[in-house]
Amino acid sequence: MGEFDVMAGNKAVAHGARLARVEVVPVFPITPQTTIVEYLADFIADGLLDAEYIQSEGEHSCLGMAVGASLTGARTFTATCSQGLAYMHEVVAQATSYRTPLVMAVANRTLGWYWSIGPDYTDVMPEINLGWIQSFVESNQEALDMTLQLYKVAEDRRVMLPAMLNLDGFYLSYSQERVELPEQEAVDEWLPPYEAPFPIDPTVGDSWSTNLVPQRLHTTYRRLLEEVLRDSEAVIREVGEGFATAFGRGYGGLVERYRCDDADSVLVTMGSMTTAARRAVDRLRAGGERIGLVKLRFMRPFPHQELAEIAGQVDAIGVVDRAVLHGTGGGLAFTDVKSSLYNLEDGPPVVNFVAGMGGDDISIDDFQAMGRSVLRTAETGRIDQEVRYIEHEAPPPPEPVKLDWDQPVYPGSDGCAGCGSSIIFRHLMKVLGEETIVINPPSCATINYNPVSKAPMILANYAAGAAFETGVYRALRKKGKADKVYLTSFSGDGGTVDIGLQSISAAAERGESFIWVCYDNEAYMNTGVQRSSSTPMFAHTTSTPVGEVWRGKPQRRKDMVMIMAAHRIPYIATASLAYLPDLERKFRRAAEVTRAGRGLAYIHVQQPCATGWYFPEEKTVEVARLAVQTGAWPLVEVEDGLVKLNIKPRELKPIGDYLKLQRRFRHLSEEQISLLQEEVNRDWERWLSLERLGKLPWY
Amino acid sequence: MSGDETVKGVILLRRKDLGGRDVASWRVYKPVVDGEKCVKCGLCAGYCPEAAITMGEEGPVLDLRFCKGCGVCANECPAKAIAMEKEA
Repeated sequence: MGEFDVMAGNKAVAHGARLARVEVVPVFPITPQTTIVEYLADFIADGLLDAEYIQSEGEHSCLGMAVGASLTGARTFTATCSQGLAYMHEVVAQATSYRTPLVMAVANRTLGWYWSIGPDYTDVMPEINLGWIQSFVESNQEALDMTLQLYKVAEDRRVMLPAMLNLDGFYLSYSQERVELPEQEAVDEWLPPYEAPFPIDPTVGDSWSTNLVPQRLHTTYRRLLEEVLRDSEAVIREVGEGFATAFGRGYGGLVERYRCDDADSVLVTMGSMTTAARRAVDRLRAGGERIGLVKLRFMRPFPHQELAEIAGQVDAIGVVDRAVLHGTGGGLAFTDVKSSLYNLEDGPPVVNFVAGMGGDDISIDDFQAMGRSVLRTAETGRIDQEVRYIEHEAPPPPEPVKLDWDQPVYPGSDGCAGCGSSIIFRHLMKVLGEETIVINPPSCATINYNPVSKAPMILANYAAGAAFETGVYRALRKKGKADKVYLTSFSGDGGTVDIGLQSISAAAERGESFIWVCYDNEAYMNTGVQRSSSTPMFAHTTSTPVGEVWRGKPQRRKDMVMIMAAHRIPYIATASLAYLPDLERKFRRAAEVTRAGRGLAYIHVQQPCATGWYFPEEKTVEVARLAVQTGAWPLVEVEDGLVKLNIKPRELKPIGDYLKLQRRFRHLSEEQISLLQEEVNRDWERWLSLERLGKLPWY
Repeated sequence: MSGDETVKGVILLRRKDLGGRDVASWRVYKPVVDGEKCVKCGLCAGYCPEAAITMGEEGPVLDLRFCKGCGVCANECPAKAIAMEKEA
């Protein structure tokens, strides 16, 4: 018997992965999955899990890393949801054809209007038919147990397919429930290490799986994959029964039937909403109604057999969906159930309820109403309304404050108190004015300034910020407006140096004439302080935590000025919110260069972040000033290849003055501090020598 | 956000519907300016993340509807003319 604790679903999944002794964990943060990979970082940093941890630059790469690792024979785990899962999409298809038995947790989040973080199944919908095992859990305990079961199912020779564990964002991922942690010895006995049958390691075997199949044989291989998914049903049942014997918890097989024995009708659900549906069934049963509940635990392979049995016993089926297949009129599970039962003789009518989209709560009352509706259908044999949307009223949003205001950004924002990004944004827009289009890859700014910006701010897909900007620029140019409307990005470091780098590089190379402003708080702040490649060496972040084994981020930060200089763009500058005249001058110069159509102007502004660097918020400007005065953040300009160091203190202050104000560096040893001091000194000399060089030779 | 009669289901942000964001309820401390010490340098207005401070003829003008009490103004004031006082 293991120990009990109260924990969020994300922590339960992380424990599951730890107990499964996963060997390679590529990660990328996205709400509401992020803490799964943060807990795993903590486990590894404290020596509780011996695994390779890879902070990927984006989800497409993240799943690529997972497939690579699994092909080489490692037991692999990763997690994502929503936009991140969509970004992985083409690799999801590859994982199936390579037969890599990796497990991916998806803390479901809507793939609808971009900036919604509430749960529904629109994110798993486009992935569900690509050949992965698809499971849905109802509780945090089931999430932990399912993580272990999925490895045993996936790695079984009869299966050898990747598996997705779907758990509702927020309702499970961030809600605390009582969970029992099995003992490691018991898990080790039940789940032995992964023995890959065909690892691509030439020192281990001499066969490896291939994706190259002649055209004539594709239909055959598709049939074979379907047979494998069919075969996996037996494996799922076996593993479930074996788990129940070993650990004392059984969940049924592909479906769980609740009070279906003498039911006239059933509701079909999946995921955490099942719990409320159970209570509604109890209430209806107490009132004498004969209704039951079917919980879909696995949607792929689809439980045709179980559904056919149930259909033979009832007079109506009501499927509750948290996903809409746009263009078909109804939801995902509804379409699956209806088509599964279509060819049965005398099948019951099937109706659909679409509810809880975007995380809207589905109450027990809502389920009771759905139940009554299905019972009515059972009674009359008639479908009044095939698809019903369970909608709720929303409270009105907060009223904006009307006032005379000539600046492009209204006062107030949703940013943290003392937010440096707000200081930067107000000065940027003061220079550019409201006849500006602002392209904003996901970051804190998206939350903060949309409601107060007179200039349109457009949320661009994370890896495509500069691509969106290019499209806007070319349309403006075609319409003769390129010199009448300013075009800038306002992007965090994530959207610039990591996931956004490819599209910035491409835009720079093509010579697109727009401004790129990066406000650099040196981590992925909006998802809760995970490292970026702009995080300074040795800093604590939640994906480079300080523990027994790890001592913060081991790598130096990326040098974006030189990367952009390698593209030979006309204007590059670093800036600081503590040096406002210099900052505004650089924004003005960028505006001039781009309005003249000369190419990309890139400005990289440091943004001290009280929330993520852990200093008191009144010191935002003070910390920024120290960064410049110690040489931690040199203020430089590269105009047509000519390097200029703008602010040259007679003597750089010791780096310790800057570091000691920030608790993200509080663990630093004397040795680490002197290493950082050496690095700062070296970089400073480097800038001075580049300044003396005259023009950079490759311009 | 609003809709449009001509395009069903579209979600729009209209410029005329925008305005300031009242965040007064966020703060615990509020800035108080000592007019005698103030040298009207304008740094407080330049640094305020929320533009709750603007420069008037007589000196800084505070619109406390937009002040979160972060204290950057007080920290940066070269004349030490701003004190952060606890809200009643």
